Amino acid sequence: MSAPSAEKVKVVKQLARPEIVFAAARRKGTSLLYFGGSDFRVHAVDLGRDRPEARELGAHSSYVTGLAVAGGSLVSGGYDGRLNWWDLSSGSQIRSLEAHAKWIRRIAASPDGRLIASVADDMVCRLWDAETGALRSELRGHEEMTPHHFPSMLYACAFSEDGQHLATGDKVGRVNLWSVEDGCSVARLETPTFYTWDPVQRRHSIGGIRALAFSPDGSRLAIGGIGQIGNIDHLDSKPRIEVFDWRAGRRIGEAQGEGRGMVEHLVFHPRGEWLMGAGGYSDGLLLFCESDGTKALAQAKMPMYVHDMVLNDDLSGAVAVGHHKIAAVNWSA
Amino acid sequence: MAATRPSSFCGSSDHTIDRRGFLGTIAAGASAFAADMTALEVLKTPAVAADLKNKGKRVILLWLAGGSSQLETWDPKPGAPTGGPFRSIPTSVPSVRISELMPRMAARMDRTCIIRSLNTKIGDHGGGARLMMQGRRDDPSVRYPDMGAVLAHELGRADSRVPDYVTFYSATEGRGMAPGTPGFLGERYAPMSLTTETVPANLRKLDTIEDIDHQQRAELRDLLSRRFERDRSLSGALGSHNVAYERVRGLMASESLFDIRREPQAVRDRYGPTQFGEQALVARRLIEAGVPFVRVARAWWDSHGQNFETHQEMVPELDHVMAILLDDLAERGLLQDTLVITLAEFGRTPEINPSLGRDHFASAWSATLSGAGVKGGAVYGKTDANGRSVVDGQVGPAELFATIYQALGIDHEKQYMVGSRPVPLTDAGTEPVTAVLA
Repeated sequence: MSAPSAEKVKVVKQLARPEIVFAAARRKGTSLLYFGGSDFRVHAVDLGRDRPEARELGAHSSYVTGLAVAGGSLVSGGYDGRLNWWDLSSGSQIRSLEAHAKWIRRIAASPDGRLIASVADDMVCRLWDAETGALRSELRGHEEMTPHHFPSMLYACAFSEDGQHLATGDKVGRVNLWSVEDGCSVARLETPTFYTWDPVQRRHSIGGIRALAFSPDGSRLAIGGIGQIGNIDHLDSKPRIEVFDWRAGRRIGEAQGEGRGMVEHLVFHPRGEWLMGAGGYSDGLLLFCESDGTKALAQAKMPMYVHDMVLNDDLSGAVAVGHHKIAAVNWSA
Repeated sequence: MAATRPSSFCGSSDHTIDRRGFLGTIAAGASAFAADMTALEVLKTPAVAADLKNKGKRVILLWLAGGSSQLETWDPKPGAPTGGPFRSIPTSVPSVRISELMPRMAARMDRTCIIRSLNTKIGDHGGGARLMMQGRRDDPSVRYPDMGAVLAHELGRADSRVPDYVTFYSATEGRGMAPGTPGFLGERYAPMSLTTETVPANLRKLDTIEDIDHQQRAELRDLLSRRFERDRSLSGALGSHNVAYERVRGLMASESLFDIRREPQAVRDRYGPTQFGEQALVARRLIEAGVPFVRVARAWWDSHGQNFETHQEMVPELDHVMAILLDDLAERGLLQDTLVITLAEFGRTPEINPSLGRDHFASAWSATLSGAGVKGGAVYGKTDANGRSVVDGQVGPAELFATIYQALGIDHEKQYMVGSRPVPLTDAGTEPVTAVLA
């Protein structure tokens, strides 16, 4: 199977939402989608229904920016610095933890469902026992301030498929790779192109590493964001993906999309047939690349800026969430 | 009025003038000063008490170029669909809350009043910047001066040996949109404009002249001038020339005011390592030395994309610099006579666009006044629950400027004669916001 062409990507269902939807998660084998966003709430919706209606599970006290399914639980993270656990069967809240002192930007569940990783603007990645909520380890290796004396941000994290490694990425383009077992740093990558500091015209910065994904065999790491920006008033550069042989510390590919935009989410095809980035500018985009990042293959428009996405179990498409919309797309027809 | 670019003394290569040209400009400006003053007959003489009141008053304008977001600073709407992700926090004034990005200013809210109800209508950078620097719309028949020039004129002294109007604008974006405009007041009130350097390069004595030579030349000139005056009847031209020369010498001597290395390290550390912080420290030094108006522009806030990331960088910097500046002024006994203003060309839209940005918005935004002549802790005006419109106490540019003038003891109805045309400081019928005046 090769990457789908832009023409094959069809929006098959859309739900308008009053909020900006930042995070999505799905339990395998079901049509239930969990999502959260700028209304501070966590919702569930059955996309298998003709007229899906969202049901609220509960709320944070700020934006909901991370969701992950682990075992029988859904875990949500938000700008309130809290991690909340929800029972997937009953929908009720199991626990709520003060996990970080600043905004939680992303959470991820380990492939075996035993761990939850959370990254936040306190520049710490924390690993949690997904079943008990106990803190397992703290991973510190990102600077709190940018070289220009501003607070930095820790935007992205991802587990490798075997669950042995974790990658974290920050605003200034640093990626740390960690051994999940002992919490030790095993590699560091620098990707300065993702961070734009404008010292002359506007004197602030923009960008950062917004998405990370390991290849199915764990040898490569894909990094997503936006390239160097001329006018930092806007997301005024091309969506950008870099792929590294992370053990060798060598970049093996870089791909850019057409037009302007940011890559917010990355996913490898499970058999390594393609690498896909999702994000946007005013509209949304899907960018399919060679899985080594050496070439952009196709780019499709999405009906809204995409903040997060989950693949269908059969790889026929995906559900994207973003600016006031949820959209199901299909590329297999 | 079409804005004209005044002569400026900045160090940028765009408009660097050589030292001779610079001094010539100063001298010409000073000579023109007398002529300007005869032309600018004050029709409505301010009351003596008010005239005395404004003596020693100073202004520092923190110009948030590009348009900072009122929702992420002074008028937060947490929980509203338009509110964004930041929380509000309590302040030292009960019932007044501001963005969590400003904890230092929250602790100092009793020194600051917020006007939350600006409706200024112009939503483009150039037009908005001119409007908010002049307090009125352009008029093709009159070259209006901006706030700095008016206050330099009203608060400065004719025999001043320091600059009357200094502006810092280091970022290049938007610099040309509000360059400092003396308008009909003439070049005497054009700003000393600093861009890439903190110390104005053209004030420096030539390296080829020793200090002792410089001093001896000045003394020789003084001696010859005194003999010339003694042997002849005094002429206006000579007096004017001497005034101009003294002003140039004063300006050259003021070079040290711009040098923050003369501040104790502990003071420099308080202001922090950022350019904005360093320029605010220079502003304090200038104010302390008697400069009546200093603008410190912090550009560029135009966050059409990633508004929250931009404000996470820039608001804490504003919070830090503004708080330290107010503390420093207060500790030196200067705050009661110094008005610190935060202002921009407009605010930002309540609506959050797909790039998580906020766009230009002039219909309901905020400014602050701290220090001289204002009620610390006062909040004037109100916007609706989503910040889309003003629902109480609408303030336009003229009312804001009238309030600023009144806070400084300046009659906002005062009129200048420009040719045969009387021009009031603010448009007829304008009322200041007395609720925020001390």
